[in-house]
Amino acid sequence: MLTRRTLSGLIAGALGAAAVGGCNRKRLPPGHISLWFSYGGRNRKVLLELVKQFHREQHAVRVVPTFQGDYFEGLTKLRTGLYVEQAPTVTHVIGEALPYLAEAQVLEPLEDIGSEVIDDLVPALSQAGTFVGGGDRPLVGLPFNRSTPVAYYNKSIFRQLGLRPPKTWAELRSAARSACLRDSERTTRFGFSCPVDWWFWVAMVGQAGGEVVAPNGEVTLGDQAGVRALRLWQTMVHDERSMKPPPGRDYNAWEAANNDFLAGRVAMIWTSTAFLRYLEDNAPFAVGTAPLPSQQRAAVPTGGTFFVVPKGARPEERTAAMTFLRWMMAPAQANAWATRTGYMTVSKRGRAKLAQDGFFAQHPNDRVTVDQLKHARPWPWATQLLRIQREAVQPRLEAAVLARRDAATVLDEARKSLEGV
Amino acid sequence: MSEASLAPVRARHPYLLLLPTALVLGVFFIYPVAVALYRSFFAWDLLTDPQFVGTAHYSRLLAQGAVAGLVSRTLAYSLVVVLGAGSLGLLLAVLLNRPGRLYAFVRGSIFSAYIVSWVAVALLWLWILDPDAGVLSRAATGLGLGRIDWLGDPDLALYSLAGVSVWKITGYAMVIFLAGLQDIPKSVLEAAALDGATAWRRFWHVTWPLLRPTTVFVGTTSLIMSFQAFDIVRVMTQGGPIESTTVFVYAIYEQVFMNLRVGRASALTMVFFVFLLVLTAFQLWLWRRFSGRRTMGGS
Repeated sequence: MLTRRTLSGLIAGALGAAAVGGCNRKRLPPGHISLWFSYGGRNRKVLLELVKQFHREQHAVRVVPTFQGDYFEGLTKLRTGLYVEQAPTVTHVIGEALPYLAEAQVLEPLEDIGSEVIDDLVPALSQAGTFVGGGDRPLVGLPFNRSTPVAYYNKSIFRQLGLRPPKTWAELRSAARSACLRDSERTTRFGFSCPVDWWFWVAMVGQAGGEVVAPNGEVTLGDQAGVRALRLWQTMVHDERSMKPPPGRDYNAWEAANNDFLAGRVAMIWTSTAFLRYLEDNAPFAVGTAPLPSQQRAAVPTGGTFFVVPKGARPEERTAAMTFLRWMMAPAQANAWATRTGYMTVSKRGRAKLAQDGFFAQHPNDRVTVDQLKHARPWPWATQLLRIQREAVQPRLEAAVLARRDAATVLDEARKSLEGV
Repeated sequence: MSEASLAPVRARHPYLLLLPTALVLGVFFIYPVAVALYRSFFAWDLLTDPQFVGTAHYSRLLAQGAVAGLVSRTLAYSLVVVLGAGSLGLLLAVLLNRPGRLYAFVRGSIFSAYIVSWVAVALLWLWILDPDAGVLSRAATGLGLGRIDWLGDPDLALYSLAGVSVWKITGYAMVIFLAGLQDIPKSVLEAAALDGATAWRRFWHVTWPLLRPTTVFVGTTSLIMSFQAFDIVRVMTQGGPIESTTVFVYAIYEQVFMNLRVGRASALTMVFFVFLLVLTAFQLWLWRRFSGRRTMGGS
């Protein structure tokens, strides 16, 4: 019979066990490491195939991959995991989050991956080239799925209308107007579409000659360049009705832009190089890529994520993680990932091998993305970068573009929103 | 039964009996609210050390008009959901309160929407409301209404979401109203009919007054459901366009999970808590008032 004392003992025991259990990091079997990832669809399949290949090639380290939603959901889970000491052994985070996590001192330094790996990284895609002064700081992120925005156009429509990919903002407006199809007042095909998203706005700020954060650390949001970027979108959406702002937020809008392009509802889109293979394989027409147009200069931000090793792993887990990362960064794997997804290979030797094997001659769209890299502009190493993106700029872009609020006022509000708590 | 026989054998027995409920309430309700209140005075991102900021989060929320916007959007959404689901549920209950397999099938079909998960419903309606290929959009175009961007128009998106919620929970309201209707003695309705009351007068003067407690119950539960709106916002609009569908619960999620602002999210939670307290008090007042009338009318 269950006495009161027994019951009290059971409750106390359960609470005690829960308390003790809650304090301990979940242990994986020896030789196993956890990998949290945020790749969906095709990219997820490619990653899982690479993990399987890694397991076939060696038996000392087993990787346990777990899908954690999109980049921002993954970042949230990482942060929560760090707080409750249940972070994964390896994960990947967007570039904008790297300075924030590094300065919070929750990432392991990765220099011991070895100079063979570090020296082989494509400079513009590595931590050193992605951030202003990124090479002067401890190495905490290894690039893997790196990208830039690129213009995709429907070759059939462009050929039919005698258009060429735009090289300037003026040409972009002109091409977008020409590619529109209207049925009385209704637009049945838009010339251009692009997620009303921070990443593309940063690209335009750079093209208009501005910087989001000044070299002295002041958050300028590009000043007049930021305003000009927003005004270009406003003009194309409202005055010329040649740009379709895709519905939804964050990656929902990106997916909507892709779908509109594939369905022929839009003649040209800006999106990530990450979708190159997906768009090529699924479009019922020939897909062309082109560098983003210039205004005062050619400029694109880099995107995608870096592999990181959160603090808290046991030494043997960390060693296993480095084995896995060293294998993933090798030219063969970096190329396998890049050629099957559309992300850019992060290995210099890998890129040379692709050129030597004639890959770029056979895939001119990939060549465009690689050539555009010389115009990549580094991000500031600012702990505020993630906040500037998520809180100050991103939520206000919609108001500026869809509701046509004054661009200068919107950016002024964005700057002020960063003040205080 | 004497008063003495109701007294507990031991003084602590009532407290022991209350203990399980008190524990559950304490651990899952009171403690989290207390923690949220405490955290609302700090700026904290879970990674770095919390910084005491006093009432700065509250001042910021009030100064920027964020709370006013959230309250008005949440109330507008809830109003449409409660009135829409309530009135449609009542109408369907009255129409379908008849015997027969066909009516049972129709009742079951309508109720089935209620047991489908919110995420599935949201995904289904994303297709239906697609401005180019959606069934509803095509129907609107066919009727000459032009292209309607149900979820992309900031003036329309909140009401589109409310419409989807009405579709989902109308079946629930209908079932509760059916139970209420079947609770009304037939003799009362027959007496009214014998007195020459038309169908409308029987409904207005007999059925409706006797359904008031049921109506208050449906209203209260629908209101609770509407305040919990999250899945539908997350899947269909992510709070946009231009914050037009950012209701309270979604705003809290956005602050803590997207913006890494634990303190600000906690302050928002406390404001929401007070807002719900006021509404609950109002509902309680309504409940007592209408329940009282029913007792008088039924006696």
